[in-house]
Amino acid sequence: MADSIIKQYYDALGKGKLLGKKCKKCGAVTFPPTTACKKCGSNEQEWIELSGKGKLLYLSHGMAPPPNPRFAEIAPYAYGHIKLEEGVFVQAIINGVSIDPDTLKSYYERGPVDVVPDIMEVKGLNVLAFKVM
Amino acid sequence: MGSKLREPVYILGVGCTRFGNLLETPEIMGLSLHELAAQAAQEAMADAQVDPKEIDAVFLGNVTYPTSLLPATYSQVADWLGIQYKAGVHFDAACSTTNVGITMAATGIAAGVYDKVLVVGLESTLSQPKYLSPYERTTIPTEEMWLWTDHCVGQAYSVPQGYDIFPTYNGINALGYCRKYGISLDELEHGLFELCRTRRLHGSLNSKAIRQETLEQEAKRMGFDDPWEFWNSRFNPHVAWPSRLYSVVTPADGASAIVVGRREGASVSQPVELKGFGISVMDLPWYGDDPTVMPIDTHSFKKAYDMANITAKDIDYLHVHDCSHIMSICVAEESGYLPKGQGLKFAEEGRLRFDGDKPMSTHGGRHAFGHAWAASAGSDTYEAVKQIRGMADARQIKPFPKTAVIHTHGYAMISTVLVLNGGN
Ligand SMILES: [Zn+2]
Repeated sequence: MADSIIKQYYDALGKGKLLGKKCKKCGAVTFPPTTACKKCGSNEQEWIELSGKGKLLYLSHGMAPPPNPRFAEIAPYAYGHIKLEEGVFVQAIINGVSIDPDTLKSYYERGPVDVVPDIMEVKGLNVLAFKVM
Repeated sequence: MGSKLREPVYILGVGCTRFGNLLETPEIMGLSLHELAAQAAQEAMADAQVDPKEIDAVFLGNVTYPTSLLPATYSQVADWLGIQYKAGVHFDAACSTTNVGITMAATGIAAGVYDKVLVVGLESTLSQPKYLSPYERTTIPTEEMWLWTDHCVGQAYSVPQGYDIFPTYNGINALGYCRKYGISLDELEHGLFELCRTRRLHGSLNSKAIRQETLEQEAKRMGFDDPWEFWNSRFNPHVAWPSRLYSVVTPADGASAIVVGRREGASVSQPVELKGFGISVMDLPWYGDDPTVMPIDTHSFKKAYDMANITAKDIDYLHVHDCSHIMSICVAEESGYLPKGQGLKFAEEGRLRFDGDKPMSTHGGRHAFGHAWAASAGSDTYEAVKQIRGMADARQIKPFPKTAVIHTHGYAMISTVLVLNGGN
């Protein structure tokens, strides 16, 4: 069986690890991992583990019922735009935050806050969510 | 890379159905997708004064397979148009489909392979065939439509992880816009209200729009004398705070068609030249530190302006993809048509109206004209061609625009820009 990058990524999430790829040519980090460096296009990359630490830059919310039925029980959820320590951007569910306008407004007014991964298993799939520190 | 068309290419004719609901809207109610496509295509061929036998190729686009069940659509629809034994392809570039089709046609024509190409886009976002019936359809829940539509986006890591278009393409961008330009959330709210009023005014002046009621008329019908009160009511909930329902797309069913060809041998008196185009694509995430700028747009505008040899100052009419009203402001500013950070102010001052000095989306845009994924870019081109020819009825821009620029975001994300030029 061939090694699927996607499968390895999701399996690692289940062990609490965020896997990406680092380009051997230009050093850029591609996260989540793919078959080529996002910056230079090289396919010579090595696996790296990201710290998972990041800044939540903006916070909004999704709809209910959600487009993906996997999330029917937790929608509507807070959804944020995050910059990870390694300089890559990711958007994800933010756990533990209420989505009423007053709460979301307070986050907007506060500006970027620190977040860490809060990986969940949702109906058999490992999901990279985050929580505010 | 070559960046010029080797021969001039023209839009010879345009067609578009009313955008609406195949189960409800009188002009299209009860039609099959074959008939819907034919309505737009036959209007375009009549407009171009082209006989079906003169068409060298049919490029037909459709995005959402579960609602069409037409994976190789062109071969089926070609028969319904009297076009046989010609080249054809089914393709999709999501919500940029029809305009990407125009660029494919243009490259084939400029290369000398084809003389005339028919591009068609068709879509139903509101219903699907009922138990494989050839003519009966049944409505689909909104979340199911989004599930299928989201097949166009990040299937490896985004959609399985809870991705949702409304925060990613509305809420977060609106917050980024406010922070970048020091605009308060109250100013944002009022600006988006005025922008919606403008789009709805345009829809009310267009017999093909899905929403032909102004915001004021709808407010009154719902029992509000003050449309601003209606705007802030439970009838206009947040879809992704701070963005509300009336700042986003209205899904629709519809079809559009364009005949692209050479000037020589064309009998139509008012062809519009395709001066240039630019396409740039990427998957999520579409932006980094600044959610108001997607780098793909910067690229696609530059490519199109360079090919057409224009600058933003030359633009008389602009349409940008506006299934998110705040993103449409961001993109219009990135295009250079509106000054940075001023778009909502322009909306407040009525400058984006058909009778303003910076007209945009005069057909009503994705909210008022409606959005039928693969057909929508063609509806934008249809409007631009009608405006250039001075045939836009009560919403006609005066003086008639000569240079029109049309931008669409094909989900996701295919940033496509066309530069059209014509008129007297
Ligand atoms: Zn690299």
